[in-house]
Amino acid sequence: MDRIQGSRCPRCLRVLAPPARFCPDHPVAMEPVELHGYGDVISFTTLHSPPEGFRSPLHIALVELPAGARIFCHGSETKLLRVGRRVAVEAVDQVFYFSHLGLADRARLFWRRAGDRGERVTAMAKSVVKRLFRGPKDETTEAP
Amino acid sequence: MSDVWIAGAGMTRFGKREETLQDLMAEAALAALRAASVEAPEAIVVAAMNPEEFVGEGNFATHFATHLGFAYVPALRVETATSSGAAALFTGFAAIAAGLRRSVLVVGGEKMTHLSTPRVSELISRSIDPHERSYGATMPALAGLVTRTLMAGHGVSLREISQVSVKNHAHGALNPFAHFQSRVTLEEVLESRVVADPLRLFHCCPISDGAAAVVLTAEGTGIRIAGIGQGADYLAVRYRDNLTSFRATQAAAEAAYRMAGFGPERVDVAEVHDAFAPFELIALEDLGLVPSGKAAPVTMSGETALDGRLPVNPSGGLKARGHALAATGLAQVAELVWQLTGSATGRQVEARVGLAHSIGGLATNNWVTLLERAA
Repeated sequence: MDRIQGSRCPRCLRVLAPPARFCPDHPVAMEPVELHGYGDVISFTTLHSPPEGFRSPLHIALVELPAGARIFCHGSETKLLRVGRRVAVEAVDQVFYFSHLGLADRARLFWRRAGDRGERVTAMAKSVVKRLFRGPKDETTEAP
Repeated sequence: MSDVWIAGAGMTRFGKREETLQDLMAEAALAALRAASVEAPEAIVVAAMNPEEFVGEGNFATHFATHLGFAYVPALRVETATSSGAAALFTGFAAIAAGLRRSVLVVGGEKMTHLSTPRVSELISRSIDPHERSYGATMPALAGLVTRTLMAGHGVSLREISQVSVKNHAHGALNPFAHFQSRVTLEEVLESRVVADPLRLFHCCPISDGAAAVVLTAEGTGIRIAGIGQGADYLAVRYRDNLTSFRATQAAAEAAYRMAGFGPERVDVAEVHDAFAPFELIALEDLGLVPSGKAAPVTMSGETALDGRLPVNPSGGLKARGHALAATGLAQVAELVWQLTGSATGRQVEARVGLAHSIGGLATNNWVTLLERAA
């Protein structure tokens, strides 16, 4: 299933997403790790004149996953967003998206990208909701 | 280590300029050489962040040296993104402190306004982590993220942030070298259009052309470089666990104070990197110039205005003097030289020790320089 791919430093156990080749704190190769797709909002912004190739307004959030990795995410809107709020995160075509708990939001987000791939959308939405209800205690799991 | 002196400083007016980059640099360099009474330096250090893309010229140190008639003077180019001017100053400083040179011309400049704003924005954003850039992160976007955490976690208001712009525009109105020489009101700042929520247009510095230069010498009696420090941080903003202070500033300040043998209590005037208005508040605390949590109230009470206890950005800062990238770090130093020697006509403050603070990238490669007027 769609988990977030990250990497972990074997020396300091620091976790990053997306995976990096070397730990930014040591010249040590990182190991792959899988992370849960939810986290807490550290900050967010909306660009009204985004760079070429992005639609305006462009919503960007910085989200901290339970394993400690912070990731950049896109989202459909930031009206309900607050610093510290928990959001769902999903990778679609290697791009992270945050969304609120509401299914309607999630469906809209994925429809926009997924087009007519409706089945995939439903499966992804389900998977995220399931994960969210497992709560934050569930720590990082390693790749099999 | 030998003492290093600033024998002279010069700069062009910042703003939209028609001249070429090499002509802008020549104007600043000749002014600095004239002020220093130095006819030809032993070496030249050139700072330009991205002349390859902005003006389509490479090998720029030699290009500039030949252009100004110093073809036989050894020249090199230094780059640390938007703090390149400060990095060039360090390079010249190191050469003289080590006894390798007796005089060095340090000149920085950038020419951008002939390109479209989106194009300039895109070129500047190449100093951002590529993954973050792939999300559309520009400098204003990252500054927007920083600003929101500052407001949410530290109770800083948009009004307090906006007061930085009001103050720096008031200073810029008195500086003939400033890009913007007009005042703005708090309401104008608060009502300007949103760039990267919660940041508005008047919280952001402009895109400026310009150049600045200083002449460093091994002998002197005027202004001494008392300390100079560099600080580093992750390229990726998402790797940092704190967005409301910049480690690169703190480390640079610590190194500069250690070299100088004194701390922030001796600083009388500061030029800080207010590329975005909230960055001035962050800098004041990271530099130890005001206690933690006090930058906003100190700004509101006027302590950092020209007639305040600690004038900050008497030039107008990046906000009003303008931000010609690689020229900026040297323009800050030029302003301090004029302030310390009593030649900042119209905006003169009483000062013996000045601090310059320059940010490279989104606070990835920062510099702090301390200047002291000889007793």
